[in-house]
Amino acid sequence: MWEGITAGLTTALDPGNLAWVVAGCLAGTLIGMLPGLGPITAIALMIPVSYSLDPAAGMIMMAGVYYGAVFGGSTSSILINAPGVASTVATSFDGYPMARKGQAGRALALAAYASFAGGVVGAVALLLFASTLAALATAFQSPEYTLILAFALSSIAAFADRGQVLRSLAAALVGLMLGTVGTDQSAGVQRFTFGRLDLTDGLSFVLVAMATFALAEAFRMVLAGDDDAASTRFAHARLHPGDARAVAPAVGRSSVLGFLVGVLPGAGATLASFFAYDLQRRFRRSDAADGARGIAAPESANNAACTGSFVPLLTLGIPGSGTTAVLLGVMLSYGVQPGPRLLEAEPTMFWGVIVSMFIGNVVLLALNLPLIPYISRIVYLRRRVLVPFVIVFSLLGVYLTSLNSFDIFLMLAFALAGLALRLAGFPLAPLLLGFILSGMLEENLRRTVLLADGSWTFLLDRPVSLVLLVLCVLVWLGPLKRLLARKRGTQGH
Amino acid sequence: MHIVIPAGPGGGLDGTARETGRALVELGLVEQVSFENVSGGGGGRAMAYFLENAERFDLPVLVNSTPLVLRSLQGLFPFGFRDLTPVAALVGDHGVFVVRADSAIEHWDAVLETLRNNPGKMVIGGGSVRGSLDHVVLALALEAADLPVRAGRYVPYDGGGKAMLALLGGEVELLSTGLGESMAFVAGGEARVLAVTSATRITALPDVPTLKELGYPVVFANWRGLFGSPTMAPQVRRELVDQLSAMRTSPHWEDVLERRGWTSLEIDAAAFGAYLEAQETQLAGTMRNLGFLAPSDDGG
Repeated sequence: MWEGITAGLTTALDPGNLAWVVAGCLAGTLIGMLPGLGPITAIALMIPVSYSLDPAAGMIMMAGVYYGAVFGGSTSSILINAPGVASTVATSFDGYPMARKGQAGRALALAAYASFAGGVVGAVALLLFASTLAALATAFQSPEYTLILAFALSSIAAFADRGQVLRSLAAALVGLMLGTVGTDQSAGVQRFTFGRLDLTDGLSFVLVAMATFALAEAFRMVLAGDDDAASTRFAHARLHPGDARAVAPAVGRSSVLGFLVGVLPGAGATLASFFAYDLQRRFRRSDAADGARGIAAPESANNAACTGSFVPLLTLGIPGSGTTAVLLGVMLSYGVQPGPRLLEAEPTMFWGVIVSMFIGNVVLLALNLPLIPYISRIVYLRRRVLVPFVIVFSLLGVYLTSLNSFDIFLMLAFALAGLALRLAGFPLAPLLLGFILSGMLEENLRRTVLLADGSWTFLLDRPVSLVLLVLCVLVWLGPLKRLLARKRGTQGH
Repeated sequence: MHIVIPAGPGGGLDGTARETGRALVELGLVEQVSFENVSGGGGGRAMAYFLENAERFDLPVLVNSTPLVLRSLQGLFPFGFRDLTPVAALVGDHGVFVVRADSAIEHWDAVLETLRNNPGKMVIGGGSVRGSLDHVVLALALEAADLPVRAGRYVPYDGGGKAMLALLGGEVELLSTGLGESMAFVAGGEARVLAVTSATRITALPDVPTLKELGYPVVFANWRGLFGSPTMAPQVRRELVDQLSAMRTSPHWEDVLERRGWTSLEIDAAAFGAYLEAQETQLAGTMRNLGFLAPSDDGG
């Protein structure tokens, strides 16, 4: 392996490849910052460039675009509550409120440092365990996926603020239902598409996220009527004293967790960021750095997971997400077939890509930090300027991914519905989480039941499933206890 | 030349379009090629877009593949290949049936025997929804052996890669998939091919029998090819076919096939149209048996 690492160093430090990793990171992070544009769009946009490069340089650049876009993706979540990619939804939970409190610079800096830490931890893990961790990907089968998704849904109850448990679950249910629109994977029939081609592939994440988060929030600002900007002005990219020490444990935990979840094909950065956020809430200490940990945890997790997703891609040739599927296409276009034999067939590329990730993460930190004071001024715009800006960018983000004007109308309808739900006191984050998990959960659950011939014993007779099931139950205990306590309280009066 | 691609970047259709365009330009056969990805609606949106905007381009071309036939048969969108001018099929991917390297199943006939003796027990995975490619190819192969497709339990996965992972992890016993998607695992010694749906044996897999030689007359390829607008002049089509034949014989294209692991298909113009009609007939019967077509319905 040391031979490989030295070879990787030589490849990664080649001046041409160094230039491409910088170029890839720059393009990725800038595209990723725009609301609605995530890694998949960034990679798609860079495909023509990759054709002119040799395989090692091309993959080094494209990997840079990928983790660069994940790195920059938190920006729009934090500043305008517009997560352009599912893995940054959790960042907006604590990030957006912090930015509205006038600490946009701090929030962005936290996200940048956490992303950097997650990326580096991920790269170390990839370097050391790439070839051994592939087994983890095959150990997880449909029953395990079903339960890990059930676990993610269960944590909604834990995310919920006091007194909001039932409303949160109701919102999650609506999200799950939205996820059933489109072609039924198991039966191959159309559901709730009303005969429209625009709906046969289901609703896109960007559309639902932009509508229920960014647009609904913009509409809410309009209704609120006042025209104040975020209160105080701390635009500089500075952490509060003690922030670094306060978030360090959360970052460490989240990075390792994120990497492991990222290795699982299909689970990826989104689940990783939710789990990290959830875990962080459990360690909650209600001190001044609580919000900081709420940003740092999901951000380090999603970057580590993005690196983790290279394990199944490189060592099994199996893309775990839409983004890695496009990366696989790029590799195939070079005539490089990732899989068990990649390490022998293409050692320079394999190690070169991994080693370049260290350089890439340093580059990203150096690129992002100086930009923060400028970008974070967005939140200090007055609402009459900010709201149209948010509306235009979120509509643009959705339109640019699908180039379908039907999506615009659909999005407006969803935004109004989202606004109504918000005004009625329903939180929208569980709705989005339910929507994200819906398709995967249904697919795996139906497959599991089909495989088990309709029996549900798979819950108990597989060790990993059993552990996950116990975790689900444990997650439920807290909210149940609270619910019972409250009931007893009201009976006592 | 403007190629419309009914899928996002990075997939097989996208690759076919871009490799063809690049080869034509580099060989000096076509001056300039532009590409446009229009995804959504299972390819239906690209089709609608192409038919609507064809006259805006000098030489509009749509790249497409077998699911076009399947989806218009199912009536998933109101168009079919008859709304287009078939130009040429360029590459094909044959269907294969794969087991894990350490599986006890040594021969395709052993699969059939198990299915016959214990109907509904064997779990067979595929990389696409029920009623689409992998499922239909499985049905074709089973029908040729006088077995209903329900003899096996088809389990769909989201893509050939995840289906392969399920095979390796032991969740399914047999996989119906494309040769291209499974080649790396077969070459890596993790999976074994029991049978292939090509007409003759595949060069890279000299020991793998075709279904045809096993006595089951099923020959099937997932083609990828080019179409022109419905109003494409015969003269223009002939020119394009000539350019594509020149491309096929070039070392550049040979290199592309080798690099991508594609099998060349050479079916041009009118022959391509006839090939599509034959495939439609082949698939329609099976789709009807699968319950994806009403018995008296011709796909409306």
